[in-house]
Amino acid sequence: MTAVDMAVTMGALALKNPVMTASGTFGYAAEFADVCDVGALGGVVTKGISLQPRAGNPVPRICETAAGMLNSIGLANVGLEAFAADKMPYLRSCGAAVVVNFFGETESEYVECAARLSEIPGVAALEMNISCPNVHKGGIEFGRDPQAAGRLVRECVAAARVPVWVKLTPNVTDVVALAGACLESGAGGLSLINTLRGMAIDARTRRPRLATKFGGLSGPAIKPVALRMVFEVHRAFPDAPISAIGGLQSGEDAAEFMLAGATTLQVGTQNFVEPDAAVRVLRELRDFCAAGGVTRVLDLRGALQA
Amino acid sequence: MNFIDAGVVAREDLAPGYFILRLGGCEALAGALPGQFVMVRGDWGRDPLLPRAISLLEARPDGMAAILVKTVGRGTALLSRATAGARLRVLGPLGTAFPAPDAARQDLLIAGGSGVPPVYLQAARAAAAGRADRVEVFLGGRTAQDLPYATGLERLGVSLHLTTDDGSRGQRGLVTAALERRLDEVGGRPRLMACGPDPMLHAVARIARLRELPCLVSLEAAMACGLGACLGCAVPARSRPFVYVCQDGPVFDAAEVYQ
Repeated sequence: MTAVDMAVTMGALALKNPVMTASGTFGYAAEFADVCDVGALGGVVTKGISLQPRAGNPVPRICETAAGMLNSIGLANVGLEAFAADKMPYLRSCGAAVVVNFFGETESEYVECAARLSEIPGVAALEMNISCPNVHKGGIEFGRDPQAAGRLVRECVAAARVPVWVKLTPNVTDVVALAGACLESGAGGLSLINTLRGMAIDARTRRPRLATKFGGLSGPAIKPVALRMVFEVHRAFPDAPISAIGGLQSGEDAAEFMLAGATTLQVGTQNFVEPDAAVRVLRELRDFCAAGGVTRVLDLRGALQA
Repeated sequence: MNFIDAGVVAREDLAPGYFILRLGGCEALAGALPGQFVMVRGDWGRDPLLPRAISLLEARPDGMAAILVKTVGRGTALLSRATAGARLRVLGPLGTAFPAPDAARQDLLIAGGSGVPPVYLQAARAAAAGRADRVEVFLGGRTAQDLPYATGLERLGVSLHLTTDDGSRGQRGLVTAALERRLDEVGGRPRLMACGPDPMLHAVARIARLRELPCLVSLEAAMACGLGACLGCAVPARSRPFVYVCQDGPVFDAAEVYQ
């Protein structure tokens, strides 16, 4: 079979291959070490980190939906200090590039978090969450307004020593405007998409299935929306490094996202279904390339004939 | 913990809505302890998406394992139609377990309906250790059809108390009433270990608190991954805001999760 060069460069960051795991679906990676060859992956994106630990939202927090699931975890995480002390030792040695997702409740928390995380040895890049649908403060209030997003991104980029990617929400009318504001402000990459805001109801009890009523929809159900948004942003900003997220289950899905313009790929909810899903996606993507005579995976990027 | 490609060897339909799947190729589950569980999913495409968390009923060194399932939704309905030869992906063994039987004390094991697997395994563990006389099992259900593995328990030769809400088998009434009657008789400080519906566990925890008895409960929760990643199986707790059923449990000190 043809040898395929799987290496990619996402902005300033070189990765051995494009397949990563998405924030919130792979814990701090050590949870999966028994059953997944983490070191085979291009990178892992950690659970979102904040300066202080967070307990998360009331329960129930998750609910299965048609070909997907809703979650309203509320950004539960161990906090920056415990992350650096307890979670980084495994991550640093796991063999995959470590991208740390982070967020704050205020602008100054975002900036301090970015600065401190970027100083931790072994952190290759940061992914800024300005798009969580499940918390009132922080997250999405910055993610819906291009001006606010641009200002916040500029400050975090200035404070951080490593590239800062920005994870965008699909819950906006014009994702291109937001993407443009982030790129102008120095974002080293764009991750899209976060979950779609949704709801599920138990008709028998007449109650919402999530304690917070609304949650974020993920899984294969959202893949067409993610493909459309990756394509829209790539078309508007062909040079922008894009990390695609949204219902990615197979090597062929991965190829579709690269054709739409993605440079890297994040496997998310599928990690819950099969804990070694990302490694399988990587293998299938390599096989897909080899079978099609593609010698360099990056040749797929943006190669959609449209 | 392992991610196994298992094969269905047999499906045993118990009462309507309850069945056992016997699985082969599960050598990696051998040694699983009472209370530990697996995440199970069949090869059925994208919907329903998530694996199901199900307690182990048996996990033998020869690779034979068994799960007891109650049909409650789409995923378990699909499992209920699995036939010999069907492939399942099985992740496990996961979670914490009931403590080992103790020659010095009596254990009263309480199960409700499909909560029987951890109690069965614990009773089997005691029997295998020659301590069948140190455990008594209380199994309750709404009707005779909701005592899904009473026969398995009977074979172990442990003292077994059956109850049904409608009196169709065993004593009429709640399993917790039978437990209290027995506690009045036996005295001492037996340990309580329970698995079943939330109201039953709540009642057992209350009995333990009032009588100042040690009590462990094995909880059930909706979860996506079983690995501590999705954080969906949170339960409010006493010592911290939440504990997670998949990693901190499913077996908890009752006082931690029931106030």
